[in-house]
Amino acid sequence: MTFTTLPSPQIDAGRPPRDWVLVGLWLSLVIVAVIWIAPFVFIVFTSLKSTTQVMTTSAFSPPLEPQFSNYASAWARGRFDTTFVNSAIITAIKVPLGLFISAMAAYALAKIPMRFGKLILLLILFGTMIPFQVMLAPIFTMVNGFGLIDTYPGVILPYLAFGIPYQVFILHGFFRAIPHELSEAARIDGASHFTTFRRVFLPVSLPVLAALFILDFVATWNEFAMALVLLQDREMWTLPLGLSAFQGQFSRDYGQLNAAIVMTVLPASIVYLIFQRYFVSGLMSGSVKG
Amino acid sequence: MATRAIWSNTRIQAALLLGPALVVYVVFAVFPMLDVIWLSFFKWNGLDPVKVYVGTTNYVDVFTKDPVFWVAFRNTMIWTALSVAIPPMIGLALALGLNQPIFGRNTLRAIYYLPVIIAPIAVATMWRWMYDPFFGLFGQILTSMGLQSWVKDWLGNRDIALYSAFGAYVWQSVGFSMVLFLAGLQGVNRSLVEAARIDGAGRWAIFRYVTLPALRTTLTIVLVLAIISSLKAFDIVYGLTGGGPAQSTQMLALWAFTQSMQIFDFGRGSAISVVLLGVTLTVVIPYVRWTQKREEVAE
Repeated sequence: MTFTTLPSPQIDAGRPPRDWVLVGLWLSLVIVAVIWIAPFVFIVFTSLKSTTQVMTTSAFSPPLEPQFSNYASAWARGRFDTTFVNSAIITAIKVPLGLFISAMAAYALAKIPMRFGKLILLLILFGTMIPFQVMLAPIFTMVNGFGLIDTYPGVILPYLAFGIPYQVFILHGFFRAIPHELSEAARIDGASHFTTFRRVFLPVSLPVLAALFILDFVATWNEFAMALVLLQDREMWTLPLGLSAFQGQFSRDYGQLNAAIVMTVLPASIVYLIFQRYFVSGLMSGSVKG
Repeated sequence: MATRAIWSNTRIQAALLLGPALVVYVVFAVFPMLDVIWLSFFKWNGLDPVKVYVGTTNYVDVFTKDPVFWVAFRNTMIWTALSVAIPPMIGLALALGLNQPIFGRNTLRAIYYLPVIIAPIAVATMWRWMYDPFFGLFGQILTSMGLQSWVKDWLGNRDIALYSAFGAYVWQSVGFSMVLFLAGLQGVNRSLVEAARIDGAGRWAIFRYVTLPALRTTLTIVLVLAIISSLKAFDIVYGLTGGGPAQSTQMLALWAFTQSMQIFDFGRGSAISVVLLGVTLTVVIPYVRWTQKREEVAE
């Protein structure tokens, strides 16, 4: 009876047959990953080598006598103490404040009937797409007109302006999807829109807010073009400006230059690695729905 | 009592909630956009109290007397065409791969996405060092493979500098397309894929007739975002080549900046910005209308 049975799929049920296409696919994905990560390895290795070591050893040979002093020297010569503090202050003010006023505006547009609501929303939708790189000169003129060049508000206000559209757009979509009953119940109990917003809408939208917070943190931390135009005084420079200047001045100090790159890139990378999940969900809720 | 009444007035509440964001947005984003159009009709160094109205002179000068403008225009178009074709294609391939049940996919995804969150100016600095013809990564790899003759001055050679810069941009932007495609792939109907498989469809047929049509929306979004982000390419070119050598990697956004902020010719700089703005709007306006239609359908 049994000998007539051909090797049946059931026999392999415990362990599915090896799918060679999948194996090949996996290998190519790993190869791409290696290529993608190679620059980081190269930069970190170089950052720990002395100039002589850079010139005499191969790119991927690990630094046998790591020169941690590169980091200390780069920190001092690149004036990282100043640029780091400036970046931290600007980001710490801009990101929560921007998210808060965007959320308020998104609530108003989603839940309070307004005569020009549609028009305002359209104006904001346009803003999500218009690159500010086009308008560096008039932004400079405007901030200069207020006498705010080389000040924190002078850079925070334009940052806010260009962060608002995307955040309002996303949050508006999210708030609108919150069932009417939830807000109406609160309203009937006599709560003002402020209370409804704070007590009902903010708590339920925490995951979206978290995603937007992280996206905005990285964008603000990394911003270069506008800072270049609005912050001319060295004392006011942010990290990206400091790195760019460092590269201009000390590009032949390979070890220190790469140490400066690592120090600039590290905070955002750590934030990303910790909050990865929110990143992806934030992007997804943002651009691709259904 | 009177203050009470004011606070409970819906209109006032709406104004207070909407006001801050709207004011900041209009003053610091919408106004400069209109101002750039206004400034493009004046001769102005950015600081003088007096602006001289010159009509369309700035545009005529930019189009007829500024050879760099056309180089920048051409480079921006090449850059845009390449960034519509290459990063989304790699991103789609990676997303399709990661959508399979394979080992370590979360780690792989994290690795591909990592360059996206790095400051473009830092990416530029990294790649500038990697492109170093003497000790850089590419030179060393080619040398160790016995291909010394292939080593070039990647960023110093006028014929290839633009493409070298684009290499860095690919490395940085592939992860972004990939994540959008991954999100889109979640929306592909599993049972449809299963049904096609049972009907004997091969992998290619499933991709071509089931997956790809389901990704239409995502594809549109990815391509539009690719176009827009390439039109505003600034940091990475500024950091890698500064537009050189001999303006061979000059781009519109960077050239507008250079004219205004370094040559102090705000009129010409603004005229270039307006051209770039116009190009951007030809993509943005249809896209915004398309988004609105989708929103209305979703309602």
